[in-house]
Amino acid sequence: MAKPLVLAALMLLAFSFAGYRFFLRLRPMFSAPGIDRLDHIGERLWGLVPNVLLHRRLLNIRYSGILHAMIFSSFIVLFTAIVQAFGSGLFPGFSLAPVGGNSVIALLQDVFAVVIMIGVGMAFYNRYVIKPARFKGSNNKDATVILILVTGVVTSMLLEFSFHIAAGGDPSAPWRPLSSTIARLLEALGFEGESADRAAHVFYWVHVCVILSFLTYIPGSKHLHMFAAIPNIFLRNIGPKGQSRTPDPKAAHIGLSDVRALDWKGMLDLYSCTECGRCQAACPAYAAGLPLSPKILIMNMRDALIDETVTHTATAPAAVPAAGSNLEALVGSVISEQTLWSCTTCRACMEVCPLHIEHVPKIIDMRRHMVEEGHVTPGIQDAMASFQQYGNSFKKPPRMRAKWTSGLDFKIKDARKEEVDILWFVGDYASYDPRVQRITQTVARLLQKAGVDFGILYDAEQNSGNDVRRVGDEGLFQTLSEHNIEALGNCSFKRIMTTDPHSLNALRQEYPAQGAEYEVVHYTQLLLELMREGKIAKAANEKVQGTVTYHDPCYLGRYNNGFEPPRQIMAELGYKLHEMARCRENSFCCGAGGGRIWQDDTGVKERPSENRIREALALGDATIFAVACPKDLVMYTAAVQSLAVEDKIQVKDIAELFA
Amino acid sequence: MHIVTVVRLVPDLLEEIQVNEQGTDIDREWIGVKLCEFDDHALEEAVLIKEATGATVTALGIAVEGIDRVLQSAVARGADRAVKIECGETNLDSRSFAKLLSETLPQLKPDLVLAGVQTPEDLFGQLVPFLGTLMGRPHASGVTGAQAEGNAVKIQQEYGAGRAARLTLALPAVLGIQSASQPPRYVSGTKLRQAIQGTKIETLSATASAGGSGTVKEMRRPARGQGAEMIEGEAEEVAGKIYDALVGRGLVGGK
Ligand code: SF4
Ligand code: SF4
Repeated sequence: MAKPLVLAALMLLAFSFAGYRFFLRLRPMFSAPGIDRLDHIGERLWGLVPNVLLHRRLLNIRYSGILHAMIFSSFIVLFTAIVQAFGSGLFPGFSLAPVGGNSVIALLQDVFAVVIMIGVGMAFYNRYVIKPARFKGSNNKDATVILILVTGVVTSMLLEFSFHIAAGGDPSAPWRPLSSTIARLLEALGFEGESADRAAHVFYWVHVCVILSFLTYIPGSKHLHMFAAIPNIFLRNIGPKGQSRTPDPKAAHIGLSDVRALDWKGMLDLYSCTECGRCQAACPAYAAGLPLSPKILIMNMRDALIDETVTHTATAPAAVPAAGSNLEALVGSVISEQTLWSCTTCRACMEVCPLHIEHVPKIIDMRRHMVEEGHVTPGIQDAMASFQQYGNSFKKPPRMRAKWTSGLDFKIKDARKEEVDILWFVGDYASYDPRVQRITQTVARLLQKAGVDFGILYDAEQNSGNDVRRVGDEGLFQTLSEHNIEALGNCSFKRIMTTDPHSLNALRQEYPAQGAEYEVVHYTQLLLELMREGKIAKAANEKVQGTVTYHDPCYLGRYNNGFEPPRQIMAELGYKLHEMARCRENSFCCGAGGGRIWQDDTGVKERPSENRIREALALGDATIFAVACPKDLVMYTAAVQSLAVEDKIQVKDIAELFA
Repeated sequence: MHIVTVVRLVPDLLEEIQVNEQGTDIDREWIGVKLCEFDDHALEEAVLIKEATGATVTALGIAVEGIDRVLQSAVARGADRAVKIECGETNLDSRSFAKLLSETLPQLKPDLVLAGVQTPEDLFGQLVPFLGTLMGRPHASGVTGAQAEGNAVKIQQEYGAGRAARLTLALPAVLGIQSASQPPRYVSGTKLRQAIQGTKIETLSATASAGGSGTVKEMRRPARGQGAEMIEGEAEEVAGKIYDALVGRGLVGGK
């Protein structure tokens, strides 16, 4: 009779302690601002299939994905062993035998004990021998403790089973090949009958104790993801990727200055992070040597939230507050301003995170706070002041916006005065930057030749506000978008075309929340349509020479799923495309997005654009570096020049490939 | 303490400037305007003094097209009041402007008046000395920082070759600000929008008296110089050609 009582007491102790630790973590979530993440339940559930069952993102890194799949599946199977251990301990006579506990389940337990041990071995090997760079900054000790605890759980379980079999009369013995083998070994060592039974007993308690300590350890560990991951993936953002959250207009303060002001899902994000470092490995700012690692950003925010929880609880074990855990000053102490200004909002981190953690909205929200406080870098201040005065970042009067058209031998329709089929929203770089104007003219000529009925807004166009919003100046974004929406509202057109993916994103994904919906296409899509309709001659076919590699712009690819049209254009024109390893969803940002283009290179060790050109050169045969974004043209032309490789590779816009 | 800071709209020099048909002024019909950069610094300095002492700051401008927006952004930056003077004139020269201000300012009872040290149209920075004289108050120009202390204002003036002066002026005083103690702060679009929606602009009426600085008889664009000479070739060759060019123009000793 003592066993159930002792076990119940142990469980009570462990459960209350673990429960208390869970409560500490979860408490701030109860008072956190709300966010609607319980819509479209079906879609949310369905998403668990690729993300949890199939391990799709995890398997992007094959080795780690496989080892995780091994451990994950074993956990599910071995959960039966836990049920069995605690069930039989609490209720004498409890057994899983009626559902196969002595046959199939027993076999599975033995098999998966092997699977998990191989998985754990691979994890150890990964952590101590392979040592991927992405682990830099992660808590290695925590990971090791967990691996040891898992080993403890499985070994004690196996030994308990084996001693049980050695003691004789275990009905599951024929179904437990591994335990039976160990049992024979134990018998050889002299464990039989009574002594084996006693040892089985000992290992039963060891097993139970390791499991309970595992449980109490978890709330303070990155392995909280065992509980948080599935809910976090279920509650992921399924809204438009390129739509920033509109701050509550009634809120007294715009932006995030206190980690406790994060919405509850944002907090769950922090608890879900496994410190796997995939985001860090994908981050262009981190690669450039800037003081930003999306992983460490999440970890620091999490630690700040936890610190606060612990220090606010009188009865909790006294924790030493980490340096700078003053939460009133989240921005500037927990997360430095420089860190926040380093982000290009390229979304690579979010795309690879197996937990669907949302880094970018947090960064933008903290930037909003800085902007409202007037804490911006000189480059940003300059650009924003230019937007406020002129509606573009070039400090050019609106009247000069359409000056590029003077290089054409035909007049482009003024969409404010005439009805058009296609309204071309040109964008700042394409309009004002002399390096891009040439391409803008090329696109205009292509459209003209194809007989497209198109027009532009002339001086009524202003910057779409996409990057302004990402810099965190919400009010300025509102002003710019209102201006453009009004201008567009006075025109009559069927579709909007943009050459600039940033404008594309704003018009397609941001403006609907401002009450304006349009059908917006990227020029690569339109050109492809025209080509397929036979309206643009595939003139290049005979002349095509050399191999092309293509850079996916973040705001066309990851944000707007525009992966295919540029590729199909190149294929139909007859170019041979040699893809870089980092392509499509894994494309590597040029370093210009999110307002980075207006900042200087302070702290940059290797420019992302140069890193990218090196990647292209390493392909060996690519002589053309194709782009589909005006900012890319600027960034990569500069990179090719500063690497002095103009003779090896040429940056060309997709539109130029038609020539 | 009450600080009045003058804001003036000046032609935006980034735009292409045309001379009007009469050839007496720039063509103001099409030119863009913006807040004078020095006035921007004066405003910043006023707000800095306000933050240090709790003073009240009033931004003051002539009622011309675009002034409302500038006054609103001054409020977004930290000014407490926005006042415009309705005088029927839009293009006052510095002397008339000083006269107008000296007649209008007493209504606002300022302890300190700040203005930018010069504008593209007041290149010699005459507004502040005129105003100080007309109002009979101590004044100083070329100020690069000002702190209010009791009944006085301490100022810094920078001269060439690293020299600087610190002066104390009794209040009330008039200062021409060259640069604020800190670069003008950033005002977010949100604050600007709030100020645009929420700022009440007060109006003072006054009559501008005729100018006293003379009239412009002729204005023309500077004559275009000869085209540049492009020097090409190897470094040594280029150096030789530069040397010859300098000697040829008598700029370097020769033999
Ligand atoms: S959005 Fe891009 S730059 Fe910003 S943290 Fe993520 S990966 Fe890094
Ligand atoms: S945020 Fe996601 S990708 Fe980055 S370390 Fe955490 S779990 Fe890994």
